Amino acid sequence: MNAPSMNAALGNDAASLAERIQSEVQRAIQRSIKGVEYFSTSGPALGSTPKDVLASRGTMQLYHYRPVADEIYRVPVLIVMATTNRGYILDLVPGQSFIEFLLKRGYDVYMLDWTAPKPEEKSLRMEDYVLDFIPDCVRRVQQDSGETDVSVIGYCFGGVLSLLYGSIFHDGPMKNLICFTTPIDFREMKLFSNFADRRYFDVDRLIDSVGNMPPELILSSFEMLRPASRAASQVQLWDNIWNDEFVKSYRMFDRWATDTLPLAGDYFRTITKDLMWDNKLYNDAMSVGGRAAKLENVKVPLLHAVAEHDHIVPYEAARHLIARVGSTDKEEVILKGGHVSLVAGANAIKRLWPKLDSWLGQRST
Amino acid sequence: MADKGNDPAVIWQTMIGELEKGFNSFANHAMGTPEFSRLMNQAGGVATGAQKQLGELMEKYLVSMNLPSRSQLVGMAERLQSIEGQLNEIKALLGQINRDAGNAESAAAGKPRPPRTKRPPAEKAQK
Repeated sequence: MNAPSMNAALGNDAASLAERIQSEVQRAIQRSIKGVEYFSTSGPALGSTPKDVLASRGTMQLYHYRPVADEIYRVPVLIVMATTNRGYILDLVPGQSFIEFLLKRGYDVYMLDWTAPKPEEKSLRMEDYVLDFIPDCVRRVQQDSGETDVSVIGYCFGGVLSLLYGSIFHDGPMKNLICFTTPIDFREMKLFSNFADRRYFDVDRLIDSVGNMPPELILSSFEMLRPASRAASQVQLWDNIWNDEFVKSYRMFDRWATDTLPLAGDYFRTITKDLMWDNKLYNDAMSVGGRAAKLENVKVPLLHAVAEHDHIVPYEAARHLIARVGSTDKEEVILKGGHVSLVAGANAIKRLWPKLDSWLGQRST
Repeated sequence: MADKGNDPAVIWQTMIGELEKGFNSFANHAMGTPEFSRLMNQAGGVATGAQKQLGELMEKYLVSMNLPSRSQLVGMAERLQSIEGQLNEIKALLGQINRDAGNAESAAAGKPRPPRTKRPPAEKAQK
């Protein structure tokens, strides 16, 4: 390199370093200002797509979202949320709401969301969820929409409940079933299995003493799967606190992730004993209220979306669904992302939502 | 611009990411052992028992101070929730009756429900 070009390169480096220092100083100032703002303001309003509550009973809450399209598909869609979390993960903010996406694409959308069981509701059982709450919501959707057929979308454990419902009520009226990250082989949820090891985990003693499974315990067990991630995400937040979009997204997901619901005591006993300990769904031995719930009885068109990097429901735990159901029209899609980013956020907008729309649209007329 | 590999901010972020991954992987390995499960459940059992006793003591204390206890407030909330639930049911029923009566206006949404005639885009394109 000759002398003039070396000088020019050094000059560029110096200018670039100065630029970098200036930008870091600006960010440091922004961090202080936005840091104060962060603690003095609340996050964005979530779950604000206009809806009507059709029914509210026990832990069940049935919403109907007001259609926005000029014409809608014949078959209404009922979303069954996971019992540990709130449904607003599927309705974050405008532009990032799965519900809004479905409404704009012409679906008539209902959601079965859950509320916290009250102390005296500790005796709610799996039967109440599968043989009462879901069928009741399906009936109400039929009545409200005037249609006999209903498509069901189940997220995580909502998928398990939908499968149990579909395998027992296999003569209808479920027309299509879509499962997001739904576990079948509970042995493959290795850390959860270890936490609930029957030699050391006395579920009866725990539930007898607390009534309902406390949300703090559920949240801790989720967080223990990635124990360093909370601290790391707080460092990331501080790094990016100058960036409004990052902060907005962080607040939405953080609020949802920590807004865990307690689980009804007896319902949790069944999950632990039948699914975690005896792996009955995988072993084809599951029954609810004395009614056999065999996956082979599910014969409706089925789409299973799983995430490549799901640390809560690893692919190994979810992969058996397609092979086990009796449907002939069935498909599994493995998409990039994690347990939550599969269904919400920027990745979901690009990947899962359009896939779901093209699959379900063809089966909704 | 400075080389990304020498950028202190990028180095810092990469380091945090690597530390997170490394610690998670180490902890997951340790938490996968039966010994961890035994210790965790022992500790959890003791904490839950203590929490329950404390809750019962607080309840007695509040009653003696003539203050509403948590369970009484929960009871009040429940009654409000049940009233709210019944109002929602009535609202939904009114909407249904309105629709059954042939009114174009839906009481709940305040605008007519769109027709259920939508076809998937691929099918439309074929026609």
